[in-house]
Parts: sequence; C-alpha cells; structure tokens
Amino acid sequence: MIRHECLELLAKRVSDQLIVTSQSGQRIEWSHLSKHEGNLLVGMMGCAIGVATGLALALPHRKVIALDSDGSVLLSLFNLATLGNLQPKNLVIYVFDNGVYSGSRISYPTATSGNADLEAMARGAGIKNAQTIRTVEEFNKHGIGALTRNELAFFVCKVEESLLHREIPRPNTDLAENKYTFVRYLERTEEKTIPFVGRG
Amino acid sequence: MKDELAKRLVQGLKEAGINFVTYLPETRLSQIVPLIRDDPEMELVAVSSEQEAVTIAVGATLGGKQAAVYMENTGIYVSSYSLLVTGKQLGVPILLVVGFLGGVPDQRNSFLYATIGNHTIPVLQGLGIEYQLLENGERLEARIKDAVRAANALRAPYALLFAGEFSE
Repeated sequence: MIRHECLELLAKRVSDQLIVTSQSGQRIEWSHLSKHEGNLLVGMMGCAIGVATGLALALPHRKVIALDSDGSVLLSLFNLATLGNLQPKNLVIYVFDNGVYSGSRISYPTATSGNADLEAMARGAGIKNAQTIRTVEEFNKHGIGALTRNELAFFVCKVEESLLHREIPRPNTDLAENKYTFVRYLERTEEKTIPFVGRG
Repeated sequence: MKDELAKRLVQGLKEAGINFVTYLPETRLSQIVPLIRDDPEMELVAVSSEQEAVTIAVGATLGGKQAAVYMENTGIYVSSYSLLVTGKQLGVPILLVVGFLGGVPDQRNSFLYATIGNHTIPVLQGLGIEYQLLENGERLEARIKDAVRAANALRAPYALLFAGEFSE
C-alpha cells in the first residue's frame, strides 16, 4: 500500500469535511488530489493534529480530518494523551507511517521502523479506536468507514515509502492565501463571521 | 494574587471576547483556572504541553473562537516552534496569558527562576511577538482588551506577561 492510493480513496469522499495536513509528501499529494476549500495545508511537522483538534472542538458538528506522518506524530506525542482525555468525536486522524524520514532524502529510519508502535501508544493514551491498517481494502473499509461514525478515530496506515510526491507539482498557494480561503469557506458554510478576520 | 485580582483578570478576558482557553497550569496565576472552568461562556481545555496549547488554540481561532493560551513563561520556550509556524507564519491571533516567573518584578523570584525570566522577553522579541508587562491591576480590563484587539489586527500571537501584584 502506498499513501497516494489511500488519499485517492479519501479524496472521493470529501464533501464538507475540514482537512488539516502536516508537512510531508502527503501535503503535496493531497493538494494535487483535492482542491477542496476546506483544506488547510499546515506547512510544518508536529502541528497538524493540534490544529485539527482545535478546529474539532470549535466546530463539534463538523467532521475534521488530520493527515499526518510517523515522523510528525513522533514530534508531538503529547497530542495522544490530550486526545485520549478530550475524545473529540468529530475527529479522524490518518497517520501515514512509512517508517522513514522521507524528506531527509536519505530515508533515515523513524522510531516506528524499530520498536515504536503508534497504535499501542494511542491506545495507551486512551484513544480506544486506534487501529493499524496495512492494505488498501482495510483503509477503504475501516479508514473511510470512520467518516460516517461519531467517534474519535486514529489510524496508523502502514505504507511503503513512495517518492511519487516528487513528481507532482508543489502547491502554489502560500500559507496566508490558503488560510483565508479556508476561513472564508468556513464563514460561508457556517454562516458566521470568524472574529479575527475582521474588516478593514 | 488576591482573589479579587484573579476575578478581574478572568472578567477582563471575557470582556475582551475570549471564549476558549487552553492551558498548562503554573504557580502565579493558577487561581484563574477554576474561575474559567466554572464559567459557562468559556471553554477550558487542559493540555499536556504548551506546544499543543498553541496549536489547539490556533485551530480553535480558525474555527471561529477567540482563543487564549494560559502558560508559565517556560512554556514560551517549549512552544516557540508552534508559535512561530502556526502563530506567526500562518498568521493566527491568539492571546498568551503568561505567568512571568523570574522576571525582575516577580515577587517570588529566586535562583530557580531568574535565568528563565531573564531570557523571556528576548525570546519573545526574537520570535517577533508583541507583549505587555502587567505588574498591577491598573487598567487591567482595558489592557487585556487592547491586547486582543492588537492580536487580531496583527494576525499574530500577543503576550501579556503577569508579574508584580499578580505574583504575590
């Protein structure tokens, strides 16, 4: 299984969900597969789950999806303990775990290529619906299936390292443009004003 | 901090529109936690690290909340990465309510805190985060409101450093 196969399946199911991506090849692949205005392409590692959690708490009626990677989650393991207590029912997290720091260009192994088990860590932190997925069929059944359930879900998607993202054009929207597209989309679909945007 | 000052601090946050607070408790301002927790108009979110206190507050702000982060100034060091990449780089306003341990006006300063306090303002300046130092309750509500307005206008985090009477 490679990440792009999973993202293709997910892109077909996006309607009004809010999707927060971490930095990694998935950000490039997702921005290529989905032009959804509810995409927030957070540009750095270790922040996507936190931002997605804040969105999920602020908008409890809205499904929020976080796309993250093993290296990124390992930078912010405290998120698991916090989520285990908060239990936001509208948050689904997909961690694409290829066991390497692919962006390093030397594919240096992450801790998950050794003894670290993100599913076990998430369960230990109190996230009951933590599951490891190894095939596209499992991703489609369990991973995509979680979008219709009202429960915090944490999927560790074991993927082969893929360099497909290096063949795809990188997104040309900068962070501010992406942020404003995202909040204007929220203002429109939530029929409310986002306070900080303000008016000049 | 006297109970009355804690009440005014929380009331000032409310009057400034703050309705979502992430926090990791510390010693100087901790009386505000039960006051926020018991206020039905404010959502209080306990976290495990100041790094995620910032990212969760940023997400809530993007989702329409007016968010604050309550932390010790050591949390500025812990969260400097997320302050920079989600607060400054993405341009999202959050109010930082900071217990300023080890600063000169900290009434409980000691060798344990002085180094921490000595570097706080230079780090904020290095991150490009605007701040105010509050040592007493004079114009407290107005200063909190000014800080939230400035954060929104700047589209950036803004820090209020509490010491002096707040650290007694």
